[in-house]
Amino acid sequence: MAALLTVEHLTKYFSGLAALDGVSFEIREGEIVGLIGPNGAGKTTLFSIIAGSQPPTSGRITFEGRNFTRVKPFRAVHAGIARTHQIPKPFHSLTVRENVEVGLRFGRGRAAADSAKESMEILELVGIPSLASMPAVALSVGDLKRLELARTLAARPRLLLCDEVCAGLTESEMQSILGLLRRIQSLGTTIIYVEHNLRAILSTCHHVIVLNFGKKLAEGPPEKMQNDPAVIEAYIGKKTEV
Amino acid sequence: MNPRAEPVGLAARVLRTAPPLLLLAVMAALPLFQLGPNSLKLLFLTCVWIAASVGWNILGGFAGQVSFGFAVFFGLGAYTTAVGINQGISPYLTYPLAAAIAALASLLIGLPTFRLRGPYFAIATIGVSEAVRVVMTNIDFTGGSSGYRITEHGPFRQAEHYYTALALAALAVGISILVRHSRFGLGLRAIRDDQDAAADSGVNPYAFKLAAHAIAAAFTGAAGGVLARYAAFIDPEGVFGFQRSVGILLMPVIGGVNTIWGPVIGGGVYGLIEEELVAKFPQFHLLLYGVLVMLIILFEPGGVVGLFARARRFVLRRRVASWQPS
Amino acid sequence: MTATDFLNLLIAALLLAGTYAAMAVGMTVIYGVMKIVNLAHAGFLMLGAYYVYELHERLGIFPLLGVLLAFPAFFAAGVLVHWVLGRGVPVSDTPTLASLLLMFGLWLVLQNVGYLIWGTDDRSILTPMTFATIRFGEITIPKIGLVVFLSAIVSLAALEFVLHKTWFGRSIRALIQNRYSCRIVGIPVERTARLTFGLGVAFAGTAGGLLALLYPFSPDFGRPFLLRSFVIIVLGGLESFSGVFAGALILALVETFGILFVPSSYQPAISFSLLVLALIVLPDGVAGFVAKMRSRGAA
Repeated sequence: MAALLTVEHLTKYFSGLAALDGVSFEIREGEIVGLIGPNGAGKTTLFSIIAGSQPPTSGRITFEGRNFTRVKPFRAVHAGIARTHQIPKPFHSLTVRENVEVGLRFGRGRAAADSAKESMEILELVGIPSLASMPAVALSVGDLKRLELARTLAARPRLLLCDEVCAGLTESEMQSILGLLRRIQSLGTTIIYVEHNLRAILSTCHHVIVLNFGKKLAEGPPEKMQNDPAVIEAYIGKKTEV
Repeated sequence: MNPRAEPVGLAARVLRTAPPLLLLAVMAALPLFQLGPNSLKLLFLTCVWIAASVGWNILGGFAGQVSFGFAVFFGLGAYTTAVGINQGISPYLTYPLAAAIAALASLLIGLPTFRLRGPYFAIATIGVSEAVRVVMTNIDFTGGSSGYRITEHGPFRQAEHYYTALALAALAVGISILVRHSRFGLGLRAIRDDQDAAADSGVNPYAFKLAAHAIAAAFTGAAGGVLARYAAFIDPEGVFGFQRSVGILLMPVIGGVNTIWGPVIGGGVYGLIEEELVAKFPQFHLLLYGVLVMLIILFEPGGVVGLFARARRFVLRRRVASWQPS
Repeated sequence: MTATDFLNLLIAALLLAGTYAAMAVGMTVIYGVMKIVNLAHAGFLMLGAYYVYELHERLGIFPLLGVLLAFPAFFAAGVLVHWVLGRGVPVSDTPTLASLLLMFGLWLVLQNVGYLIWGTDDRSILTPMTFATIRFGEITIPKIGLVVFLSAIVSLAALEFVLHKTWFGRSIRALIQNRYSCRIVGIPVERTARLTFGLGVAFAGTAGGLLALLYPFSPDFGRPFLLRSFVIIVLGGLESFSGVFAGALILALVETFGILFVPSSYQPAISFSLLVLALIVLPDGVAGFVAKMRSRGAA
C-alpha cells in the first residue's frame, strides 16, 4: 500500500534550538498512528509544519505523491490535511453550528448543498448537537475540544492530525472520543494522533511513533513501544543503581 | 406563549425584510414633502456617508481589518468623478469608474499591507493615506492644494443628487446583507475572530481580505464621486485628509461595527452631527467624536446596535422571569 | 556637494535623530509593557509643546526648564489617564484594536482641547538661542538643535538608568518579557503598567516640549511626529530600546538627505513611504532582522 504521507529528514530550528531534528516516517492510508513523546518533544511543531502553519528549516514532506513541504495552511486543508489545536481555537463571535459551517464550506472538495443539516450531523457525531445555537465562547473546555474536532472533521480531511484531543477529559469522555476516532477511521480517514495517555494509544493505534528532543526515538506497533527501553527512558528516566 | 420563541418560516422572512424595504420607500418618498434645500442636503449627505460607512464596515467590521486610511479611496473617487465630468463624461459613468479605480488602488495597497495584522495594518494604512495626500497636494494637473473645480452645464437638481446618493446607499446596504449571509461573509467573520484558525479551516485569508478591501473601497470611492459632483469643488485636504479617514471610520464604530445596520445608524448620526453641530459649534466636533469613541469602547463596544441588543436582552429576561406556566 | 555640506547635513541628521529617539521612546515603553499602540501620543506631544510654550510666555520660564518641569506634570497626567480609562487598557499579550481605538478617541479629545484653548494658529517658542549657531571650523550647527539633542540624550540616559538600576525599571523589563511570570514572582502588574503609562506620557510631553523649540506648532502638531514615531519603532523593532536609536538614526538620515533627491513639499511622503516599506519588509524591525540573520547562521 502506498504511503499517504511521507516525511523525510524534517528539521526545524528556532533560534539555534532544534525543535525537530531529522525526523522521517511514513503514514499509510487507513491507519491510526499514535505520536507520543514527552512535553517539548516536537509533536505540535511537527503537526504545525505538516499542516502548513510553519515552514520547516529543511526536509521534505510528500502527501499523496505530491510535494507538500511548504504549503499554505488553507491549501493543505483543500488537499485533505486538517488539524485540531492543542488549545482549541474557536471562532468566538460565531455560534457552535457556524463554527462547524466554516469547516464545512471551506474544507476539501464540494460542500454539501444543505450545510445546516450536515453541520448538525457532524455535531451529533461528536456529541454536542444540543449546543448548536450557543455562542462558541460559552462552551466548557471539553465541549470546545469536541467543537474543534467537529470543525476539523467538517473539512472532510483525508489525513486528520489530532493534537491531544483527550487532554483534560474524564475517562468516559475520553472513551467516547476514542470511539469516535475509530469510527472516523473506519469511514476512510487516516489519523495521526498525539496523546499522552498510553492506554488510549494502546487501545486505538495500529502504529506508534515516538519522539523526544525533536528526534524520532522509535517506531512500531504499540505493544512493542510499550516495552522499548529507549521509550521508557524518555518518559520515566534511566534506571539508576542505588 | 413561550416568550423566548423566535418566529420562523415565511412569516419571519417577511417580518425581517419588510422594515428595510419600508425604510427605503420612506426615504425615496421624502423629497415629495417639500422639505427645503437644507433638509434635502442633510439627507443627501447622510446617504453618501452611509454608503462609505457600510463600505468600510465590510473590511473593518466583518473582516476585522481596521483601516485608518479610507480617505484614499474617497479622494480617488472624488477626483475621478471630478476630472471625468470636466472631460465631458456623463456623471453616471464616472461613478462606476470611481468605484473601479478605488478598488484597483485597494488591491495595490492591500497586496503589501495585508501581510500585517491588527494595529500594524492600521498604522500602515495611515502612512499610505498620508503619502497619497501629500502627492495629490503637489500634483498640478488636479490643481494641487488649491483644489479642483467641476464645471457642469445644466441646472442643479438637488433631488437628482439625493436619489443618486440614496441608490448608492441602498446598493451598499444590499451588498452588505448579501455578503453577510454568504460563504464569503462567513469566511470574513472567521478571519476576524482568528485568522490562523480560519486558514487552518480552509479559508484563504489573503485573498478574502483583498476582496473585502476592494468592495469596501469601491463603495467609498463611489461615495466620494457622488459627493464631489454635488460639491462641485474638492481639495486634497478635504477628501484625502486624515480627518476624512477618521470620519469614515467613526460612523461604523459609533453605530456598531460588524453589523449590517450599525454603519447605517452611524452614517445617519454622523451626517446629522456634521451638518448641524459643526455649523453651530465648530470647535467641539472632534471632542464629541473622541468622547463618543471612548465611551463606546469602554462601555458598549457594539455601538448603538449593541445598546439596542442589550436593551432587548434586558426586556426578554424580564419577560422570561415573569412567565408563568399556563 | 562639498564635504562641508555633507558633514553639515550629517550632523543635522544626528541631532535630529536624538530628538526623534526621545520622541519615540514614549510610545515604545507603553507598547512594550502593555501592547497598546498609543495614538494619543500625538496629543501628548502637542500638549507638551504648549505646556512649555505657556510656561515661557506667561511665567517667563526658560524653555529648557519648562521641558524639565513637563516630565513630572505629564507623568502625573499619564497615571491619571490610565486610572480613568483603566477598563479599556488592560495589560495584554497582543495589541488589541479596542485599545487602539480608545487611544484614538483620546487623541481626538486632546486635539480638540488644544483647538479650544489655543486656536488653529501656529505658535513658536522663540529665544535668543533660536537662531544662533555655533561654528566648528567649517561646520555650522544651530545652537538650538545642539541643545535639544543634548537634552534628548540626557533624558534617554536617565531612562536607561531607570530601566537598569531601579526596581521599577526592572519590573518594566520583566513585564515586557513575560507577564505571567511577573505575577508569579510578585511584581504588581497593574501598578507597573500604570506607572509605565505615566512614564510613556512623560516622555511624550518632554519630547513635545523639545520639538516645540525646533518647529512651529499647532494643535495638529502631533500627527506627523506620531507617524515618525511609528516609523522609528517599526524600524527599530517594536519591542527593543536600542532599536529605537537605530530607527531614529535611519529616519533622520533618510529625511535629512532625502531633501537632496525629492522636492521639499513631497518630503512628508518620504517618512510615510518608509513606514509602509519598513512594516512590510522588516516586520520585526532592524533588530529583529539582525536577530533572524544571526539565528539562521547558527543553524
